[in-house]
Formats: sequence, C-alpha cells, structure tokens
Amino acid sequence: MELLIQQLFNGLTIGSVYALVALGLTLVYGILHIPNFAHGALYMVGGYVTLLMMTNFGVHYLLAILVSMAVVGVLSVLMERFIFYPLRHSPPIQDKVAAIGILLFLEALAQLLWGADYRTMPTPYGQVVNLFGLTLTMQRIIIVITAIAVMIALYAFLKKTFIGATIIAMAQNREGANLVGINTNKVAMLTFFIAGALAAIGASLTSPINLVFPGMGHLVILKAFVIIIIGGMGSVPGAILGGYILGFTESLGATYLANDYKDIIAFLLLVLILTIKPNGIFAKGGV
Amino acid sequence: MRVLKLNSVTVNYGKYSAVRQIDIEVSEGEIVVLLGANGAGKTTTFKTISGLLKPTGGTVNFEGAPINGKSPDRIVQAGIVQCAEDRKLFPQMSVQQNLMMGGYIHRSKKTQLKESLKEVYELFPILYDKRDESARLLSGGQQQMLAIGRALMAKPKLMLLDEPSIGLAPLVVEQMFTSIQHINKDGTTILLAEQNANAALSIADKGYVFENGRIVIEGTSEELFSNDEIRKAYIGA
Repeated sequence: MELLIQQLFNGLTIGSVYALVALGLTLVYGILHIPNFAHGALYMVGGYVTLLMMTNFGVHYLLAILVSMAVVGVLSVLMERFIFYPLRHSPPIQDKVAAIGILLFLEALAQLLWGADYRTMPTPYGQVVNLFGLTLTMQRIIIVITAIAVMIALYAFLKKTFIGATIIAMAQNREGANLVGINTNKVAMLTFFIAGALAAIGASLTSPINLVFPGMGHLVILKAFVIIIIGGMGSVPGAILGGYILGFTESLGATYLANDYKDIIAFLLLVLILTIKPNGIFAKGGV
Repeated sequence: MRVLKLNSVTVNYGKYSAVRQIDIEVSEGEIVVLLGANGAGKTTTFKTISGLLKPTGGTVNFEGAPINGKSPDRIVQAGIVQCAEDRKLFPQMSVQQNLMMGGYIHRSKKTQLKESLKEVYELFPILYDKRDESARLLSGGQQQMLAIGRALMAKPKLMLLDEPSIGLAPLVVEQMFTSIQHINKDGTTILLAEQNANAALSIADKGYVFENGRIVIEGTSEELFSNDEIRKAYIGA
C-alpha cells in the first residue's frame, strides 16, 4: 500500500512535468496546425539556462527558473518570427521540416557551447520530508505545487481574460479572429512565448531529479506528442489530463510491470487509446 | 457623406485577376448591394475591403483615408466589420463567448459591451436562449444571426455582409433581411453581397452587378429592378 501511494506521488510528479510541456505544444499547435518538433529543443535549452545561471552566476534556483522562462520564451518568439511566420503560406510539410531543422540546430549548438556531458543540476530543495508516512524530497513537492499553480494560472488567463481568449479564438478560426479585430501576429508571438516559458519551467523543475544534456528533450517531446494526441490536438484540458494519465501509467508500470519497459508504456497507451477513441479523448468536432 | 470608395481596384490570385478595376461608392446610412453569380468577385471584393486580401492595383478609401495596406485588425478598429460568407465563428466557444469576442476592440469598455450584448439579444432573442450552447451546435440560420450579432458587438460604422441568406430556409431569409434593415435604421451603413437579388434589392438603395470580376451594371434599386437584363438574369421574373 505504501509503495502504491509512493508511486502515485511519483506519477503526479512526472505527470506534472509532462503536462507543462504538452500544454505548450498544444497551444502552439493551435497557431501552426502542425506539431512543433522544436519544442523538445526549447525544453533542453530551458534546462541549460537554469543550470548555467546557477553554476556560472550563482543565481538562486527559483530566480534562475524565471530567467530561463524569459530566455526560452524569447527564443521561442524568435523562432516564430524568423522561421514559421515567413512560412505561413507554405504547405504544412515545410513547417514540419523547418521544425526538425530547428531541433537539430539547437541540439548541435548546445553540444558545441556546453558539451555533450550529462550534468546534474543542484537544488536548494534536496531535503527529505516525511508527509503522511511518505518519504518525499522537497524538490518533488515543489514540482507538483509549481506545476499545478502554473496550470491554474494559465487556465484562468485563457478563460477569464480577453487577451487569453484571443489565443483560443485564433486556434478555432484564424480569419474569424482577424475579423473581430484581433492582431493575429501578436497572438502568435504571445502563444510562442508562453509555450517556451512552459517548456523552460518543465525542464528546470525536473532537471534536479534527472540530468541536463543536449538530448534531454527527445523522450520528453515524444511523450508530449503522445499526450496531445491522446488528449486531442489543440485541447488544453486534454493536454493536462493526458500528461497525468501518462505520468501515472509510467510510474505504476515501472513498479508493477518492469522498469525497463517504462518508456514503452506511453506508446502502448497511445495505441490502446487511439484504437478506442481514434480522435483522442478530448477530440473536437470538425477540425 | 461618402463612407467607402473603391477606386479602380484590381485583385489578383497569382496571374488570375479575381476582380478588375472596380469602382464602388457607399454613402453613410445606405444599404448597397453587390449582385452576381458565384465566382463573380463579390467575396474577393469584401476580403479586399476588410484587409484579408491586398489589392494589386487601385485604392480603398474609408472616411476619406486610404485603408488598403492596413492589416485586418486595424480596419476593424477603423469601423469596418465583415460578416463572412462561411461565418467564421469560433465553433467550440459558446454563443455568448463568440459575441464577447466580437466586442474585442472595445474590451476595456465593460458597460458598453454589456449594453451591446443586450441589444444583440433583443435583435435575435434566439441567441439569448442559446447563449451557453457552443456555436457549432446552432442551425444555419442561428449561426448567421450569431455572425451578424458578433459583428454588431464591434459597433461598426460599415458592415459588410457576405451572402447572409445562403443556405437558409425562405422564412428565415425574410427574417434575416428584416433584421438587416433594422440594423441599418439604427445607423449602420451596410454593404451586402447577395445572389438573392429580389430580396436584396427590395431593401437596398443601390446596387452593382458583377460579372467575371467586373462591374457590368450599376444603379439605384429602382433602375436595377426595371432593367430587363437583370430581371432575366437574377430576379427571374
């Protein structure tokens, strides 16, 4: 029983990070209408920026995360301006190729600048605490709390403010958004900024319990794809729910089935869910 | 007072000219109708006025200032709002959310938005009954009302209505034209594209007839009604 609860909490931790990454991916999908493969590279850069702020500049962990959010957010906006915006009238395949190009470029750049080594990120929250009979590290508690707080804030922003609603409006009908007077360029930039910042938070939160290296985004972004496919492309609640479904399945699967197969679980889950609901759990009517 | 003036406007899609050197004038308070078959250039003209397309030649003037080259959101702010032929609603948003998005450019004026919302619901009571339903679940007529309602929320000086009667039952078409007249009486100038020439001319002040991207005939509604060619081609009586 204790093992189960411990694993459920682990699932919550992993799921929180997955959900943050998948949220950014799903928001950008609403603008580009293609999955942005370069999102995994943004995640990786987010991890490095936080790490370097801490090790090279001695900045506090939490402040380093804020810097990382800003840096990756701006990087994401530049990506939109200089690569995806000029391609807006091209066939979607060109966006996809461009996204893969950005991914490869950023990874190679990270390797050039920071080397290929696996690096650990220090955290001021390494303490072990006992909560309701569970042994947890402070870091994991912070991951869950921060992620949930960020998701609530994002949800309120999208649902309760006019500016947030423009992101949803543009995803649902781009020309319709134009016709009510929304500046779709600004909305696209805002969306990319938010997506970048979310990737940076996700990477910075999880790095102290994983590692920082140029390829750290691969598996995460693949799983984020699985999540937004499961949750329905472009759906915000779908990305959150999908993230947690995957997190729980993985941590329980690793414990009760086999740890070696934990990364396969995501894809088995994908096959299973798409067999039953081919359009995803939160599939939207029409397109 | 002249509100809108298109001066020798040409729009190309690649090498193909969708409209060629058209001149249109709309004065304040008028209802002006563009008649013509599918593909004659009406929608292209509308998209050009609302900034979704850029003219290859000629100018579009609104209240004396050129607006061709401005982005669509600036044109909405200037006071021109288009109701597109395919409505371009936000399908997963509720009716009320769609209307609120229509008031996006007035988002800081909360009381005005509430007032506009009330007016739209008075004009189309069915929208009030369905305010929490998502837009994609509405019938064709209701979606058209929502599209017009959403455009009204922006308090336009000039409203562009692209085939509001398309795909609607005859009785609903009649209601739609009554509503359009009502909106016009409340002070909104209207430029209307229609294939239903009979209904359109009965509420319009003047009209232009499009054929293959050119304006072939223009005149007041009475003149167009009494023109034999038009009667044969568009009115069918």
